[in-house]
Amino acid sequence: MNYNILSVKNIKKSFGGVNALKGVDLQIKKGEIHCLAGENGCGKSTLIKVISGFYTHDDGDIEIDGQNYPTITPSEAIKAGIQVIYQDFSIFPNLTVLENLALNQVISQKKKLVNKKEFRDIAEKAVRKINFEVDLDARVETLKVADKQLIAISRALLDDAKLVIMDEPTTALTKKEINNLFKIIENLKKNGVTILFVSHKLDEVFEISDSITILKNGENVISCPVSEMNEKKFAYYMTGREFAETNVSANTQMSDVIMEVSHLSASGFEDVSFKLRAGEILGISGQLGSGRTELALSLFGMLKPTSGEVKVDGKTVQINSVKKAQKLGIALVPEDRLTEGLFMPQSIKRNITVTRLNDFSNKLGFLKDQQIDSESLKWIKEIHITTENDELPASTLSGGNQQKVVVSRWLSNSPRIMILNGPTVGVDIGAKYDIHALLRNLAISGMAIIIVSNDASEVISTCNRVLVMHAGRIISELSGSDLSEKSLIEAFI
Amino acid sequence: MNHFSIKKITKQTEFYVFLIIVALSLLIQFRSGQFFTNNNIVDLMRSMVVPSMYAICAFLAFVSTGPDVSFPLIAALSSYATIVISLNIGYKGPVIWLYVLAGVFGLLMGAFNGFILVKYKFPALIVTLGTSAIFSGVLFGVLKARRMELPSTMLEFGKSSILTVKNADSGLGSQLPSTILILVGLYIVTYLVLNYTIVGRGVYAIGGDEVSAERAGFNVKMIRFGVFCANGVVASIAGMTYSSMTQFALPNEFSGAEMTVIAAIILGGTRITGGVGTLKGTLLGTFLIVMVANSLILLGIPVYWQRVFTGLIIIVGTAISVRKSSGSVKKSLKAEVTSK
Amino acid sequence: MNKMPADISTNKTKLIRLPKDSNITRLFLTLVAIVIVAIVLKPHNFPSTSNIESIMKQLVEYGLMAFAVGITMISGGIDLSTVYIANMSGIVAGIYMRTFISPEASLSEQLMVSLVAMLIGILIGALCGIFNGILVAHFNIPAMLATLGTFQLFMGISVVISGGTTISRIPGPFTTIGNYRIFGFVPIAFVIFIIIAILLSVMMSRTKFGTRIYLVGTNAKSSKFAGINNKAVLIKVYMLAGILSSIAGLISLARVNSAKADFGSSYTMTGILIVVLGGVNPNGGFGSMTGVALAVVVLQVLSSLLNMFQNISNYYRDLIWGVALIGVLILNYMISNGKIRKLKKKN
Repeated sequence: MNYNILSVKNIKKSFGGVNALKGVDLQIKKGEIHCLAGENGCGKSTLIKVISGFYTHDDGDIEIDGQNYPTITPSEAIKAGIQVIYQDFSIFPNLTVLENLALNQVISQKKKLVNKKEFRDIAEKAVRKINFEVDLDARVETLKVADKQLIAISRALLDDAKLVIMDEPTTALTKKEINNLFKIIENLKKNGVTILFVSHKLDEVFEISDSITILKNGENVISCPVSEMNEKKFAYYMTGREFAETNVSANTQMSDVIMEVSHLSASGFEDVSFKLRAGEILGISGQLGSGRTELALSLFGMLKPTSGEVKVDGKTVQINSVKKAQKLGIALVPEDRLTEGLFMPQSIKRNITVTRLNDFSNKLGFLKDQQIDSESLKWIKEIHITTENDELPASTLSGGNQQKVVVSRWLSNSPRIMILNGPTVGVDIGAKYDIHALLRNLAISGMAIIIVSNDASEVISTCNRVLVMHAGRIISELSGSDLSEKSLIEAFI
Repeated sequence: MNHFSIKKITKQTEFYVFLIIVALSLLIQFRSGQFFTNNNIVDLMRSMVVPSMYAICAFLAFVSTGPDVSFPLIAALSSYATIVISLNIGYKGPVIWLYVLAGVFGLLMGAFNGFILVKYKFPALIVTLGTSAIFSGVLFGVLKARRMELPSTMLEFGKSSILTVKNADSGLGSQLPSTILILVGLYIVTYLVLNYTIVGRGVYAIGGDEVSAERAGFNVKMIRFGVFCANGVVASIAGMTYSSMTQFALPNEFSGAEMTVIAAIILGGTRITGGVGTLKGTLLGTFLIVMVANSLILLGIPVYWQRVFTGLIIIVGTAISVRKSSGSVKKSLKAEVTSK
Repeated sequence: MNKMPADISTNKTKLIRLPKDSNITRLFLTLVAIVIVAIVLKPHNFPSTSNIESIMKQLVEYGLMAFAVGITMISGGIDLSTVYIANMSGIVAGIYMRTFISPEASLSEQLMVSLVAMLIGILIGALCGIFNGILVAHFNIPAMLATLGTFQLFMGISVVISGGTTISRIPGPFTTIGNYRIFGFVPIAFVIFIIIAILLSVMMSRTKFGTRIYLVGTNAKSSKFAGINNKAVLIKVYMLAGILSSIAGLISLARVNSAKADFGSSYTMTGILIVVLGGVNPNGGFGSMTGVALAVVVLQVLSSLLNMFQNISNYYRDLIWGVALIGVLILNYMISNGKIRKLKKKN
């Protein structure tokens, strides 16, 4: 089977003067697993929406399974066999699994009435295709993320999909769930379904895809079989920059123990003990549900411990509020910068200086603008936040720069211990390396850093040692020569 | 899968509201001996008619979009205009055509709401506040509405009843008005549409996730527009019913109902963020509020204190309801921030 | 667009920073336009001192309650109970003065009692506000529902305290002082309003408390993670809203020399209309007190102009305000859509 199931040529699309796609090609062979990669803003989402009919392209050709479509609507795309699974899965959290599975098909058949038996038949057929066991009458919002994704996939397969497009499918999955997903994808391939998935995760690209197409700034950079690609080339094509794995070496000068956690338990984890030294970068890894986020929250004063003890500088402390954590010099860069980190419509300046409001105001509470302005500019410069004006809303920044804003907001507080939860999730490779270099430099200057992350390459390239958590407990510690991608992945299972 | 498992039932907010109603009614019965009398029950049902109709409007709006506060004024304006017209032309025919005329007015007003909400996507609360002001201005400014007599056909309809009971002990009599049939009809139709048609499921879908609804193929705009048109019609029916039952056109008496109705449906388990809610919960919540309003006297609580109690019940009830609805979602996600 | 200041040290800051918000300019221009039209249409009635005086007098209560709604809305919530807090404060202050002011007492004694009454009224506003704040911040009840419940509650308590009657004929110097006119025509209430408007505007735009209100209203989760004490901020905001409401209630008491539990039930909606007109975003995190103040002036001027036309009854006011509200929303929508397109191009 060597022909192309999808062939798009010279696709152009612009929105109000902004050129999202400047003439993009994409060829996908039938039955292959094709990866579409690129930094944020490169146009991959737009391309998918054009292929699936959600957007109408300004110029270019779309050919699906040999048939030419000068324009295509969403329902035509579905009829042609294209199914898209978006990152948010397009599900209805307030409806049951049953309804989520059956509604799309019933609607496309232009039915008007609800036939409960028919719904059930459709739903059962859908989950059987991928051997998915689930309570059909449960309300979808009560299910875990991986199940929601499987619902989206089962639903997509109902319509005899020829090409299934998955947009960043592994973002919210545990390692086990990712493996399960990949097994399902392999099975689909065996059954003749072609898969296009969007990802920027290196390990996934190499693990599962047959070919890869990389976009940058709305244009093609390269398309090739994955065998012709390697990590260095990948990074180069994605960003245009050459990277050494990291050009800042690990800090070997570690000094005293700055934090000691003993038998700490709270909702989500128990009996956690470790020591943290100044100048050290400690990694905490574990899948979703391992308790790693809860641990981070607890050390920051957002989750009350039920037992155990935390010592900072040798003295026992009760970190029972964020304010207290701040006083102790602890900072947390949260997991989800969109909903937990940033104030999107507020200015970059305000986002950076939010933690220093007390310091930058006089006794009556009036803000000292000069100090605020200069602090904001200082960090923009030091951490290379790309923006021409710090009064612009934070929403105008790219993902990497947004993350840098959150990091700088805490650096502004001169913390001694900085915890970062998923610091480079959804961040393009260029910014990712910047942030890693920054963290290593901070460690060298004496800060103690905890990185909570599932990204094996990130953990290995930045941390001195790694604690692996599973089901709320620390199950192993890896460091030095023991610390490798292989050992880390093995530790997860 | 056993759909009627005890666990499932106890998880629903509606169950708790039902318990509260039972508890309260027993309490009232205990204190006054008057609750479970035939005339009290009939009186309660009579009091339920108009609020329950309003509750449909509030419910549909919340589930799909957000708070609609314009329905009392749609009720007022559509019924008043109909009454005035019928008096002017000396209408003597059956009351149903008056209802139809009012329904047309209600439909137009609802369509106005729907149009703005669909085209601009402003928050429903603010838009309906604005349209409510516009309708009020038309009613009192342009039409110079005031208390009016009703055409005889409405008077008769309002007085007609399907059941008369007399309390042997107190000698008090109560009548179950025919209008309750309209209420029952409305609920049946709404129930069937919401649960057995794709469009009806669409109402829930757009309240759950509008983007997903669009991708699934629902015509989000038409569904939302349709909801508000339907609201307009239901509101007009409520307005005509209210006027008939009070035997006068009383345009000043309409506004203010929206807040208690909204509280009633929240008590009944409708989620303030949309997408979740049931008709039975709506009825239960409305019944609870009506019961409280009507029966506090039976508990010996002076009229003065009634608002205090209504307010407290709203506060406590909605706190519990809100807790419950966010609780079921929280359990599934990884441990969220629990300390405040 | 603002360019980065070349030399930060010379960046002078004004005390009240007028936001570069075009909404304010639009409101101001609208005001000027309406005033011009009014002077042209009613050259004898409109520019008279008595008319200006009545405009100033009437907008104060609306304005103060609009401020209350405005700050709570910016914080991400809303306060539907302002009117009833106002009424309660008026009723309690009125009863206090009626009980404790005796006609034989000296003026200074009566003055003292009046002052205490006012303080009690304001204290009631603060307490009601704190109650609202606790419901919203501690029990996480959505503000719309919480204040819906408290509005019933406060009205109910007012009914109980007042026995369902109107509290009127307040003895002592309270009403005289309350209706005093500076320079013969500027009502003292208006001066109070201006002072409060300035203080609020400064607070919201220039203090850390104000900044925190905007942040909590923008994203309550992020503000928690950023170390802001959401609970404290919200309780303070609702308390402040309560105090503003109680001041409005006291002013009303002085103006009409009476207070009752269900007075002004339409003011709530008017308050919301005013703040949205004034540019406050109903979703929170955005808006300015200057805009709200301008909006209330615009509406009152418009209302006063309409009153001068005999055949346009008061009720038309609702109609016009409703149209104005929706019109402004649409206008803001079209303008901000244009802005966003420009921004996306730049970054």
